Amino acid sequence: MIRAILARHWLPVITCVLYLFAFAVAPQRAINALSSGGQLFASVLLLILSVFGLIGILQVWISRELIVRLLGREGGLKGLLIAALCGTLLIGPAYIIFPLLMSLKQQGARWAVIAIVLGVYAVKIQMIPVEVGFLGWQFSLARALITIALAIPTGLLIEALMERREL
Amino acid sequence: MITVSLVYFVLISAAYLFLGRVNPQKCRQALRVGGHSLLKLIPLLLAVFALVGLFQEFLPPQLVTAWLGESNRFLALLLGTAAGAVAIGPPLAAYPLAGSLQSAGAWPPAVAAFIMSWVSVGIITLTIEAQTFGARFALIRNAISFVVAMLGGLLLGLLL
Repeated sequence: MIRAILARHWLPVITCVLYLFAFAVAPQRAINALSSGGQLFASVLLLILSVFGLIGILQVWISRELIVRLLGREGGLKGLLIAALCGTLLIGPAYIIFPLLMSLKQQGARWAVIAIVLGVYAVKIQMIPVEVGFLGWQFSLARALITIALAIPTGLLIEALMERREL
Repeated sequence: MITVSLVYFVLISAAYLFLGRVNPQKCRQALRVGGHSLLKLIPLLLAVFALVGLFQEFLPPQLVTAWLGESNRFLALLLGTAAGAVAIGPPLAAYPLAGSLQSAGAWPPAVAAFIMSWVSVGIITLTIEAQTFGARFALIRNAISFVVAMLGGLLLGLLL
């Protein structure tokens, strides 16, 4: 029970512990910290609401089932590119995404497809505005391009390593 | 930040108005799905912003520049990637943390490596990944992704 809470909410738990500590040691600075965090949150609230609006649209019109169908159909380079695109759109926690991808693998998808989806997972099209807000657009754009460009060779490398022993 | 927010908000609202005319039922469903995902993430988001506040107040910028700064590039890259690998969560939570590190003086490639490994390397989710795909895939993928995150960070340094 406690382990489950810690595993799922480790960050809120750590933050609360740190704040308890901060309030015990330096209450005034703890209040400052809380208020600067709150101001930051208020400044991105609109952005976050928009992101989740887009998430709703994408989830309903481009369902996970549709993505799985798209990913399972193609095997060649086109399939790998589709995997890269799908990975940037898929969202959800690991315990939903992993089984989804495994079912894809069992339907005959390549290891490279699975690895590419997990690789480009670090780029989320619907969240790019948030990254731009915090880190600037040059940074966000460069990071997105690099992540996508590296994901395909990485996926192929992982596949090659996986199949070496299976032979 | 405000302009980006406003533009994005207007675009999404326009999309909803348009889709609401095309298919009101699916549009309502989209609002529900989005709202539901947001509610589930609220505790995490509140914690992240509270944590960023703590960083700004208590984390001395000298410390960040010493560990993640440009003066010791290899250490910065390795630490950034390692911190991202230990932590796991939605990318949305990584950006505010990464932003606060960068404004405290962290080397941008180390910050990029932090975001990349935050999402694609997961020490905590390693067990779930191994149960789902087998230990071999999980270990190979996480090890390679760790190196790729460092590589990606370096490439970003070249591009910027």
